[in-house]
Amino acid sequence: MDVKEIIESGRLELYVCGALSSEEAAEIDQAISESVEIRKEVESIEASLINLAEAVAPTLPAMVWTYILNSIKNIRNIDSSSSSSTNWTAITGWAAAILCIGGIFWILNQNNELEKELQVTTVENNDLQKRIETTEATLAQTDELLNILRSKEYNAITLPGNQAVAPNAFAKVYFNKSEDVAYIDAKGLPEAPAGKVYQVWSLIMDPLTPSSVGLLEGVTEIENGIYRFENIPDPEAFGITLEPEGGSESPTLSQLYTLGTVGS
Amino acid sequence: MEQPNSLIIEMQNGNENAFSRIYSLYSEAIYGIIYSIVLDEGVAEEIMQDVFVKIWNNSKSYDIKKGRFFTWILNIARNSAIDETRSKSFKNSKKNLSTTNFVHILSTTDNLNKSTNAIGIRKFVDALKPMCIKIIDLLYFKGFTQVDASKTLEIPLGTLKTRNRKCMNELRTRVLG
Repeated sequence: MDVKEIIESGRLELYVCGALSSEEAAEIDQAISESVEIRKEVESIEASLINLAEAVAPTLPAMVWTYILNSIKNIRNIDSSSSSSTNWTAITGWAAAILCIGGIFWILNQNNELEKELQVTTVENNDLQKRIETTEATLAQTDELLNILRSKEYNAITLPGNQAVAPNAFAKVYFNKSEDVAYIDAKGLPEAPAGKVYQVWSLIMDPLTPSSVGLLEGVTEIENGIYRFENIPDPEAFGITLEPEGGSESPTLSQLYTLGTVGS
Repeated sequence: MEQPNSLIIEMQNGNENAFSRIYSLYSEAIYGIIYSIVLDEGVAEEIMQDVFVKIWNNSKSYDIKKGRFFTWILNIARNSAIDETRSKSFKNSKKNLSTTNFVHILSTTDNLNKSTNAIGIRKFVDALKPMCIKIIDLLYFKGFTQVDASKTLEIPLGTLKTRNRKCMNELRTRVLG
């Protein structure tokens, strides 16, 4: 096929457009390499087509080239960094991350233990608080009692033990004459046997007239071993006898443990 | 235009300056092709970036002895742009692509004065026969093969070739004088 035929065939235009089959395109490649005239024809077709496409293009922003340049530079940077044998930055980063995670677990663990300890301590604190309150209440009571007994309104009377029944026993009476109130400290009495109870009597000596003050039992006990009684008839002496449970109408004198007189 | 083979070889060897000069030689035409397919400047700009990064990364797969460099990058550009028109996001924008061609674009834009041969192109387009518009649109802007184009236009292959030559000859005489 001669040069003119090829040019007139319309295949060069298709060649530039990329519309030929690969075999036909290879034929044109061959023809171009052999003929300057054909090559010039192809260049001319191409130039006019480039012109047409340029006319269709809107204004191309300069930023597009900047983006392209950035992309191809990034690709090269990634290539060069990954080619180095040891990536210390990455290793350091991973090491730091692992240490950090380890640290977080350790702190969480510590936190759990501290919370447990805190709970135990709170329980202990509550317990101690209760004990303090109880102790304070007891202390206040004792203080109050002590104040009462120390005051001048109360006379202290010691009831010595009856030589015949209980020589070592004794009791103390704190008696307020104006208010008819008595506190009896029974610490010096032996423990009452089962089924028996101590009964306190106020006595008028002449003639001997006993009247019951009350029983030394839970109802009258205000503190460990100290009992309180009110409305006591004006007595000259106090006596304590051991009586059957519930007390007696008159004292069983054979069981008189202690006896003492009021006043001088 | 003589093909800048020495620049192409330098670019193939990783010379960014050569690549930059090749970009200034071909970018506007390639942008025109891409724009004529997607009809959206923002989308066309993104495809431009992809296309020229592809050209740089695959430059060694172009062989100076086989085909024109312009034809090679023209294929990359058309394929990338057509791929985009098939993407979901692009289809959702519902552009009327099938009826729009380079003549519509030329007749609706006022920026022809940027090209030195703007007047020539305007005259060429004004005088263009409807069949010429269809042929150039399919073969050049849409990248149809000669076989597909002859089927689509329902004209024999031989007729397509000679008609295309006539149409493009008109362009040449208007543009290049």
